[in-house]
Amino acid sequence: MDLESIFPRLQEIIAQWLSSFLPGWLAELLVILMVVLAIVLMMVVVVMVLTLLERKILGRLQDRIGPNRVGPYGVIQPVADTLKLLFKEDIVPEKADKLLHLLAPIIIVVPALMVWAVMPFGKKLVAADLNIAVLYVIALGSVTSIAILMAGWGSGNKYSLLGGFRAVAQLFSYEVPMGLAVLSVVMAAGSMSLQSIVKAQSPLPFAFVQPIAFLIYFICGVAEVNRSPFDLPEAESEIIAGYHIEYTGVKFAMFFLAEYINTFAVSAMVVTLFLGGWKGPILPSYVWFFIKVAIVVYVFFWLRASFPRLRIDQLLNFAWKFLVPLGMVNLLVTGIVVKLNVPVWLTVPAYWAGNFVIGVIALYLLTRFTPKKTPVSLR
Amino acid sequence: MFGIGLMKGLFTTVKHGILTYFKGYKHPFPKRYFTEGPAPRLEPEGVGLFTLQYPEEKYKMFPRFRGALMHLRDPETGKPRCTACGACALACPHGVIEVVAEGKGKERKLVDYRYNLGRCIFCRLCVETCRFNAIEMSHEYELASYDKDLVLHLEDLLKIGDKSGVSEKDWAWK
Repeated sequence: MDLESIFPRLQEIIAQWLSSFLPGWLAELLVILMVVLAIVLMMVVVVMVLTLLERKILGRLQDRIGPNRVGPYGVIQPVADTLKLLFKEDIVPEKADKLLHLLAPIIIVVPALMVWAVMPFGKKLVAADLNIAVLYVIALGSVTSIAILMAGWGSGNKYSLLGGFRAVAQLFSYEVPMGLAVLSVVMAAGSMSLQSIVKAQSPLPFAFVQPIAFLIYFICGVAEVNRSPFDLPEAESEIIAGYHIEYTGVKFAMFFLAEYINTFAVSAMVVTLFLGGWKGPILPSYVWFFIKVAIVVYVFFWLRASFPRLRIDQLLNFAWKFLVPLGMVNLLVTGIVVKLNVPVWLTVPAYWAGNFVIGVIALYLLTRFTPKKTPVSLR
Repeated sequence: MFGIGLMKGLFTTVKHGILTYFKGYKHPFPKRYFTEGPAPRLEPEGVGLFTLQYPEEKYKMFPRFRGALMHLRDPETGKPRCTACGACALACPHGVIEVVAEGKGKERKLVDYRYNLGRCIFCRLCVETCRFNAIEMSHEYELASYDKDLVLHLEDLLKIGDKSGVSEKDWAWK
């Protein structure tokens, strides 16, 4: 049996075994639940690995060691953290809106997990190949902001409310350029199904065909999951922990889980839309998918170690005054190339020419209009 | 041009991250610290790890560090030099020291010396008033305890003194 179809084959075998002694509808339901359980468990394991990796990589980038006490090289640290979080006391503030306070951690996890239903892990590994998968992923990204605002309002704490406001402003602002960047990919691929988009990246991945859309999507992805340098909703030095300030124990663990699943999901979307998804030589497709996602996640950690946090006005100005116009112009160029019906061998050079012109103009504008406020002593 | 600073920042962090695996000390696998005492660390501007693995590795304190009080012995007789004059207790701004003595005049002898660590502010005024070369600040800094009133007695203070290997007051100031 080849490695490519090992998981679909496993599913078939289990389905056959179940239907031998169960009614058909029940066996089908059980198989579906099994797939859901597999994805959820995989995400939990991924989050545990990511927390350890983040602390280790961040430590190394800052000349530190990172966790190294629990187990060899600290590999059991996430287990210890999880146990600590599970056994902590659950505190609900007196002035909290009890219902919202309880619902927010549940609502934030559900869309984070639902994204994985349409993600193509491999050539034959996708739970549901929706024909509007891109729209579905963007829609679920917006649900997160509702949960964050619920947590911020429901905690009855001014810092958490400020965090919630910031989160909503940031997420809504960055969804616009993100949508524009995704649209140019969708137009170039001619489909909204993630599987078809992966298959459309045949000679070159879209990151090399449309570098500007790639950069816009990447920046918006970092902002979308509230990671540094765009971690304003949970800025420690300004508003302590932002919207999850009043959460302890399991509820806090839920926010933590959602945050890391979202980080992984955005990395997976970057890989699927721009870096050729599961495509790659020799190794099975799902291995390639995880290798590429790991590289993108490493870049996320690297950004966190390198850049200081933005101010809220800088953040919103950057989204509305720079990324949105840039995304629109990029979309226009993509539309012209698609509409002109250029011959196949000319499409990639046409995209390159368009992107080059936009890139040079954007760089010129950024250099010209970025205020130089660095004090002389720090230069 | 815009973006050059960002690239420089990214390059700096990744350079530091990669060089921690090659430069400076590497922590040997089964152990997480150097068994031969603290490994040499690098300058703040340098590259490589500089985490000190605290309970196993400790920094050597600088000579004038003011830790817990200690009593010094006379190297010839092996007895504490303290004459129970009580000048240190008078000099102390917090009433940390209590000297318990027996007898009067020439017969006055030291019975106990209570040093309340919980209230000490490590100002060294007691040592400065001592005329008999009897007490000095040690380099002990791991002084946390489960009791609120942590009182060290004469034997404890002598033990700290023996451990430090110091026999002269003001050794670091000379």
